[in-house]
Formats: sequence, C-alpha cells, structure tokens
Amino acid sequence: MTTQRSGGELTDPMTVDEFRATTNAIVANIEQVIEGKTATVRLALAVLLAEGHLLIEDVPGVGKTKLAKALARSIDCSVRRIQFTPDLLPSDVTGVSVYNQETRDFEFKPGAVFANLVVGDEINRASPKTQSALLECMEEHQVTVDGVTYTMEIPFMVIATQNPIEMEGTYPLPEAQRDRFTARIAMGYPDAAAEYAMLDGYHSHDPLEDLTSVVDGGTVRRLIATVRSVHVAEAVKRYAVELVTATREAPELRLGASPRSTLQLLRTAKAVAALDGRDYVVPDDLQTLAVPVLAHRVIPTADAQLARRTTDAILSELVHRLPVPHDRGGRSPYDTRPATPPNSFYDRRG
Amino acid sequence: MNSRRHLGLVAAAATVLASAPISDIFAGWSWLFEGGLMVAMVAGAALGARSLRGRLWAQLLAMLAALLIGLTWLFGGDTAILGLIPTPDTFAHFGSLFALAGEEVQKSYVPVPDLEGLLFVSALGMGAVAILVDLCAVGLRRPALAGLPMLAIYSVPVAVYVDSLSPIPFVVGSIGFLWLLVSDNVDRVRRFGRRFTGEGRGVDVWEPSPLASAGRRLAVVGVLVAVALPLAVPAMSAGFLGEFGSGDGLGQAGKGPRGNGRVDLFAELSGRLKQAGVQDMVKVTTNDPDPFYMRFGVADQISGGGFASHQPTGQPVSDSLPDPSGLDLSAVRTQAATARVEITDSFAMPLLPVYSAPTAVRGLDAAWSYDPTLQIVYSQRANSAEQSYEFDYVRAEFTADQLRTAPTMATSDSNQRDYSRVPEVPEVRALVDELIEGKANNYDRVRALYDYFSAKNGFKYDVAAPAGTSGAAIVDFLNNKRGFCEQYAAALAWMVRTANIPARVAFGFTLGSSSDNGVRTLTNRNLHAWTEVYFSGFGWVPFDATPSTYVVGSAPTAWAPDVDAPEETPGGPRPSLSANASGGPDGPGGPSRDPVDPEGGLIGPIDITEEIPTWVWVATGGGVLALALLITPALRRLTLRRRRRVRAVAATSGGGFAEVGVSAADLAMTVVGDADAARRQAHAAWDELIDTMIDYRLVVDPSETPRATIERLIGTALPATAAVEQARLLGLAEERARYAPVPLSAERLAPAVREVRLAIAGEADRGVRLAALLMPPSVLLRWRNAAYAGLTALSSGMTRLSGVLVRVLRPLRPRRLLR
Repeated sequence: MTTQRSGGELTDPMTVDEFRATTNAIVANIEQVIEGKTATVRLALAVLLAEGHLLIEDVPGVGKTKLAKALARSIDCSVRRIQFTPDLLPSDVTGVSVYNQETRDFEFKPGAVFANLVVGDEINRASPKTQSALLECMEEHQVTVDGVTYTMEIPFMVIATQNPIEMEGTYPLPEAQRDRFTARIAMGYPDAAAEYAMLDGYHSHDPLEDLTSVVDGGTVRRLIATVRSVHVAEAVKRYAVELVTATREAPELRLGASPRSTLQLLRTAKAVAALDGRDYVVPDDLQTLAVPVLAHRVIPTADAQLARRTTDAILSELVHRLPVPHDRGGRSPYDTRPATPPNSFYDRRG
Repeated sequence: MNSRRHLGLVAAAATVLASAPISDIFAGWSWLFEGGLMVAMVAGAALGARSLRGRLWAQLLAMLAALLIGLTWLFGGDTAILGLIPTPDTFAHFGSLFALAGEEVQKSYVPVPDLEGLLFVSALGMGAVAILVDLCAVGLRRPALAGLPMLAIYSVPVAVYVDSLSPIPFVVGSIGFLWLLVSDNVDRVRRFGRRFTGEGRGVDVWEPSPLASAGRRLAVVGVLVAVALPLAVPAMSAGFLGEFGSGDGLGQAGKGPRGNGRVDLFAELSGRLKQAGVQDMVKVTTNDPDPFYMRFGVADQISGGGFASHQPTGQPVSDSLPDPSGLDLSAVRTQAATARVEITDSFAMPLLPVYSAPTAVRGLDAAWSYDPTLQIVYSQRANSAEQSYEFDYVRAEFTADQLRTAPTMATSDSNQRDYSRVPEVPEVRALVDELIEGKANNYDRVRALYDYFSAKNGFKYDVAAPAGTSGAAIVDFLNNKRGFCEQYAAALAWMVRTANIPARVAFGFTLGSSSDNGVRTLTNRNLHAWTEVYFSGFGWVPFDATPSTYVVGSAPTAWAPDVDAPEETPGGPRPSLSANASGGPDGPGGPSRDPVDPEGGLIGPIDITEEIPTWVWVATGGGVLALALLITPALRRLTLRRRRRVRAVAATSGGGFAEVGVSAADLAMTVVGDADAARRQAHAAWDELIDTMIDYRLVVDPSETPRATIERLIGTALPATAAVEQARLLGLAEERARYAPVPLSAERLAPAVREVRLAIAGEADRGVRLAALLMPPSVLLRWRNAAYAGLTALSSGMTRLSGVLVRVLRPLRPRRLLR
C-alpha cells in the first residue's frame, strides 16, 4: 500500500491582530452575499478553522447553498461541488482507477472530494452507499481507493446542506455520518430589514458572481495554526468533558455525544475564541457551541420525542444546569446542590 | 379576603389570646377591653396600610400612629385635641401615668384592681406586642418569630408570682400562637398550588396532609420534652410541679377555725404563705404614724415537735384591760394610739389581730377575751371572720441603751422560769456560746444572736424550705440557712432561750404594702412570725430576725435594726459607708421604716435594694449575647471584605510587574509577572463581587460564566455609569485568572470592586441595603451551606458505619444462629 501526500504544513501562526483582521475580512466578504447572519457566518468560519465539517440544515430557500458557495469563493483554494442525487455513486465522490492504455497501468482519477472545500448539496438525497463514501475522508482526511491511500490537502472541509422537512426520496444521514460533521447550523429566516436589503442586492444580478477571494490556502493554514495554539485551561477541559458526559447521563437522551464530539467541541471552541480575539478558551465558548456541535449527534428518548422536546432545547437546558468550572478546586461556595448523594445503605446490600 | 388580610386578623386575634395570662394580674377585666381595643386599632391600621399597598415601614408607621391615637383616646383625658390627637401635654400625661404605674407596682398586690397606671401600661404593652406580632407574622412572614413578643406577655405573670399559676391562660395563649402558625402554614401550602390525594381527588385546605401524623408526633415529643425538662431542674420543684409530690402548700390553708383558741399557728402560717392566691384578710386604720406589726398569736411552749401555743386565759375584752405585761411605763417612751380593724372572711380564726399592747377594745362581744400574758385577743367559740372592732393601744419605743440596763432576772422569776426552758441541743448550744461570748448584758447577747441571721452569714429567704421548729429542724435550718419567717423566729427564740433569756414566737401581720388613705390592707402574704424577748422592766420586746428585704412591710426597729443594711453593721467586715456607721448598734442611723418594698407588690420576695437581682444579669447577659449573635454576620462580612482587600494589596506590592500588552482585549491591560498572586487577587475581587451580589439579592447562578454574570449584572442592576466599565474589568480579570495563560494585572481591582458595590447599593432599595449591612445574606448562605455539608458528611458517615456494622454483625444474626 502506498501513500500519496499532498497539501501544506501548518506553520507560522499569526498574531492576534493579524488573525482578527484576516477573519474579519472573510466574514465581511461573505456578508456581501448573506445579509444579517453574522453569527452563522462566523460559526461556519470557526468550523473551517477548527478543521471540521459543516452541515447546514434548514428549509429550502434560506441560503444554505449560498453560504457554502460564498465561503468557498472567499478562499482562494480548490473548490468542488457535488450535487447529491439518488443515482450518485461512491466512485463519483472518491475517484476511480482507470486503465491508461498509454502507460498500460491503472491511473487514479481523483473524485470530487479532492479539493480544499467540498460543497455537498442536498446530501441526504444520495443513497447511504454513496454517503458512506465520505466517511473516511471526513474523519481521516484521506481516501483509499484500490489499496492506495491518498491524503487530502489542508484545509479540507466538507460543507453539506440538507433539507430537514422534505422526507420523500431522501435518506437520513446515518449516525456515523452525522457524528463526522463538527457542527450543524441552521440558517434561519432573515429579519425583515435584511430581506428587504436582499431584494435590492439581488435586483439585477447575483452578487455571488462578484465575490472574490480574500485569502488563499496558505493563509487559511496559518489561521488554523493560530487556532491550534489557543490556550485551553484545565478547568475548561474538565468542563468540556463534564458537558459531554452530561449528555450521556441525561435521562431525556437515548444516545449521548461521542468522545469525538468532545474533541471537536474543544477545537471549535478554540476557533471561536480566536475569532473573538482571545488566546484562551472560556466556558462561554463551549456554552455557545453546545447546541451546534452536540445537538445533531444525540438522539432523544421516545418520551422526549413524544413531549416534542427538541435536542436543541434539551442541550441548552443541560448547559444551564451544569456549574461552570473554576480553577480553585472543589465546589463553588454558592453551589447549594448536594455534593454527592450519600451512599444508600440499601445500595450496598445487594 | 386575601391571605395577608386574613393573616393580619389572625395575628391580632392571636395577640389577644396570648395576652390571656395578664388576667392573673388584674382583678377585673377592663384591661382586656382596653388592650383589645388597642390590638384592634393596630390591626385595623395595618390592614388599611396594606390595602393601600403601603411598604413595610408605612405599615409600621400606621400601626404606631393607631396605637398612639388609641392610647390618647383612652388615657389622654382632656389633654388631647378632640380627645384623639395627642399634644405635648398628652405625652407628659403619659409620662406621669408611667410614674404612677411604677408606684402602683410598688404598692399593690396581685391581683391588682383597675389602677389607671397599670391599665395604661398593659394597654400599651398589648398594642406594642400586636405591632410586633403583625410585623413578624404578616410583614416579614416569619410567624414563628411572633412567638417572642407573645412570650414577653407570658413572662409577666410568671415573674410576678412566686408560686404556681393556673395553666389555663397560658394554654389559651399558646392556642393563639398555634392558630397563627397554622394559618400561615395553610396559606403557604395553598400558594404552592392545589393539593391532591393519591387518587387525584382535590384536598381541602383543612384536611390533614400526609405529613400531619409526622407533625403530630413531633408536637407530642416537643411537649413531652418541654414538660419533662423542668422536672430535671431542681429549682422548679417548688412550683407548679411541686404540687404533684408533696401535697403541702395549698392543702393546709383555709381550713377554718378549730374550736378553741389553740391553733397550730405554724401550720396556718406556712400554709397561708404558700397559698397560691392572695386574699385580703384584715383592713386596719390607725392614727399611729409608725406602727409595728399586728399580732394575734404566740407560741411560747417548747415540746417535742417544737414551739407551740398554750391555752390562753384571761378576762373578757369588754372589761378594761390591764397594763401591758411587764412594761415599766415610766422608763420607756410610749405612744398611745387608736386603731380600727375590719376582718374579711378569709381570716377565720379564734384569734383577733391587735397592735401590742392594747389597753381598751370596743365593738366586740363577750365571747372574746384578752390574755394579758400573751397579749392576744382570743375566743373559745367565736370566729374572727367578718369582725370589726376598735382598740386603744400603747406602743413602746425602746432604745438599745435602755435595754442594756435591763437587769438579769432571778431564776425564780416566773417569766424567766417559763420562757427560757429549752431542750438541750449541743449544736445550738455551741453556736450560742460562741456568739454571745464576751457580751456583758442580755440585750447585747440577744443582739449578737439576732445579728447572726444576716445575708453575710449566708441566710436566705425560702418559703419552700421544710417547715418545722423542733430541735432537729432548728439545727437543719442553722445548717442550711434557708427558711422563712417561721424558721427565723423559732430559731432565734430557741437560741435566745439557750442563752437563758426568756423568748417566745409571736404571730401576726407585717405592715403590708398597700396603704390607701391610711387603710392598710393585710393579706395572707403579710402573715408573719417573729421573736419576742423578755427584758425585765421592759416586757416583751420584738426582734424580727427574718431578712427584712424578703418581708413585705417589715419594720426594723431601733433596738433590732436591719442586720443586712450596710450602715447597721459596725465592726463587720464590710467597710463603713456613712459617717454615722460608727454610731454603734444604737446609733441614730435610723433603719428604714419605709414599709414599702420597692418591688413588693408585684414581684414578691425579690431583693433589689441590696444587690442587683440575678434576672437583671441574666437579661443583660442574654441581651448582650443576642446582640452579639445578631451582629456576628455583619462583622463576619466586614472581616471578609477587609481580608480580601488586604490580600489584594499585599499581592500587588509583592510581585514584580512585567508589562505585556495584550492587544486582543478591549480594555488596556497589563499582565503581572507573578501570575499566581494576580490570580489570587482577581479571585478575591470576584468573590467580593459575588458576595455583594448575594447581599443585594441579585441572582447568582453557578452555571453562569463570569462574563455572563457581569453582562446580566450590567443589564439588571447597574446604572449606566463608570461602574459598568469597572464591572467588565472585574469579569475579565476573573475570566483571565481562571482560564487564560496570563492573568490580568490586579492593580485596579480593589477600587473597581468598591465602585461596583456602591453602584449596586445605589440601585437597591432601602430594606435590601439595610439587610445587606446588618444581616448579609452571603454570610448566612455560607454558614447554611457549611452546616449542610457538615450534616451531609455526618449522615454519610453514619451510613458507612451502619454498613460496616451490618457486614460485621450479619453472621451473628439470630435467625442464622437458630438455623
């Protein structure tokens, strides 16, 4: 088995100011197309810088694809788009080895996935077979075809969109696939002012056409290196673990978040902290990210579903129940809840 | 009716019920009318203030105003405008009523008639208690606290009566308190929502909850403990509970006359003194400005059981009476006087009280005779009840110098022979010999014995001491040094006789405490016994050895001064306090003839003239302790704040600074070289901020980050001033201290904390500010959590222990052994 390497190294992190200027430029660029969705745009950017993948889930026509394309266009790097259809094949995604008669050898034709940014539109319209072609590349940043492993470039990001309403002719994403997406975001409807401004902006032509890239792949790599250097205090790490553990212990959840999600939560938190101009992560970052990063991975119990409780609501409630960490050890002096339930005598008898 | 209104009315009704024990003090019921009116006015004012949505202070003001108007209406007289609006004169009048009440307290005996001063004080007291109860129960929603002012009412009759009281008023009072508690609790439960049974049926408010049985069990245990605990305390045995055991006290009293003139006077005396109620027995008017005790009986024979009376003999009182027995009228200054006596039906004996020594008696029929030796008026068949009569008498005014001249009588003298006979008791003999050693004459010997019964020698008054005047009882008394007049009189007589001087025990009344237009009312509490010593040429000279401070209406005399009065004990170990102290026992240092015991009427045998009584110390100590407890949280809060500031300052001066600009932050900041110190400072500032927030009733959420906490604080409780920036600085400092690799420099934190605290305080309303100052909730919360943690640790420890025990003891289980 051979391995073919591609892509660049993560070196030369930026200073805080430089980082902020760069990321602000990207956000401003995207906002030319997507009006009034700064938080969503920054979250999408954070996922990119956290080396994760983004799932945009919302009803049709709110700009899912527009956001994906705008983000792709803002970065001067290779962008591929896959329109997921029911007849899409795995080899269309990953690539295929074809016989080259001149060299009399099989030659690898890279699939759509070999790019810095892969926009997967309507991902749930492809069959699970095709969807699972993404599993390896999304987690391991590599594609193995015919025994040969091809490494993806950095940055590598899959931005997938899906429509949660229309169920006919779609295949829900398998749990493994969902877990590979770092964050799931919803676009939400624009407010009235933004929608009005949009009417003007889109009056004559699509502003997406005018969008030019503001950074190149190398800069993105430097941004990623900066994010990686963000400090995470022990207390914050503990908090991340506690948060994820809480999803596993919550009575309303049948399936909690995976250890992978802990990792991705912290990575995204680092990116958010850096975007916020900090060189350290605060619990606030984890709190904001709990719903986008964790909500799509957990499965509520039948009872919670019957009670029409969404995973978003369950998770934000969890966040509000969990005490924030402090670096002084022990309990907060204001925490009035019992420390540990005393071991019951009856528990010990059995 | 809303719940607060209802609770207010219940509080007023409970106050009225709780004042039931006052009925023990007053003979009539006007106090209830006037006090009830005060309570009603206070409750009405509170109700009105509440329906106008007045704040707590407004309610308090309204209640105070209502109380003032009510008092003016009832007691203000013509000093007020329209009879309702108080003027400065009204307050002056109130002041005089207070003074009047003080006098009435001194003069009267319980139960008192409707005296204006006391009625005023009781109405004022009930109104004040009503205000406090309303504040506690309705204003602060702490009805349990309302028990304290109610307890103040309880304590009045308890303090006034030495012996047992009827429990019924107290039961009524506690029913009021329980009513208040139940109403409040029902109201609380009702506010939770509707209650349901297991089957889903709605539960009515008054139906018992599933917890009711637990509550009942707790209540039973509480009552049992409250009843059982005093039994274990020895001092209580004389009171209410003492009746269960001995059966004396109430039993012997008032059995009425017994055929002849021989009465067991000692039994009568102790029985009547211990009797619960107070009965008027004798009303006497005399033109003598300075009378001594009235006497009606004498015990002059010593048998196996102690002193006893003998059958009196004499002639009918309708005849003119002989000269006072043994009195040489030429040598002694005498005072002739007339007295008129009315006897109630409570004093029913074949004896009549007269001043010594009567010379003529008018208004009595031939059934009554006079015994010149005993100097008593007696009857073989008539009863003293409802008698009224008038008599002339001469009161001898002996002086010590005169008495010193009395010659020692010959052993053949009948008085000497009859009245100095005494069984030989070695202990008494030894004591008497020691006391009279070196005394030249009979008077000095008697004085030496008399002076022995002083507080200095440890003698105390105790009406509960075992009665009895036999030789053994005398020895017991001289050892225990606790007794009442019976023991003192008998012991002195016994000792004087042991010194071979004639002596006997006289019975009668003290001067009493209430004198109304010259009419003295003597009650069973004024019954008394004292010693009479025979001096040749002077006759029977009274010596009252009972400590005068414990005897209401005692009358120390020039020849037998009060041994406990400081100026009357020359040569004693105590330093002389006044110039005339060197005057000797016969000096002109006039003993206090004021018959009014300052506390007398209401408090009974409590001595406040000599030393400050214990209860004052207990009350003062309790007050100081309560005050200390009350201000402890505030002090704790202050020390915490100071320590945090000191820590911040110390840390600032400690580490060297490395100024590193971190441009990422919105605020210009410097980062400290000594990171740990800076972290500690930031934490101290943050803790102070959080404590401040708790103090000012701002929500503190442990699941909130510093950043979120600060933003919420700015949004809700901070005015838009510089404090906002300071608050953000505090939040950033804490956040960086917790989570960042380099913390923020802590230089500006202490002033920031102060500014934010002042800003928060400025936004809070007055009540919250006051509570934050006096009873900081942060400190209380800390303590509560610490107590909770301790209890949790204890309970888990117990669980572990029981687990271990079960494991260890399991093999020993009886069933297994039987198998």
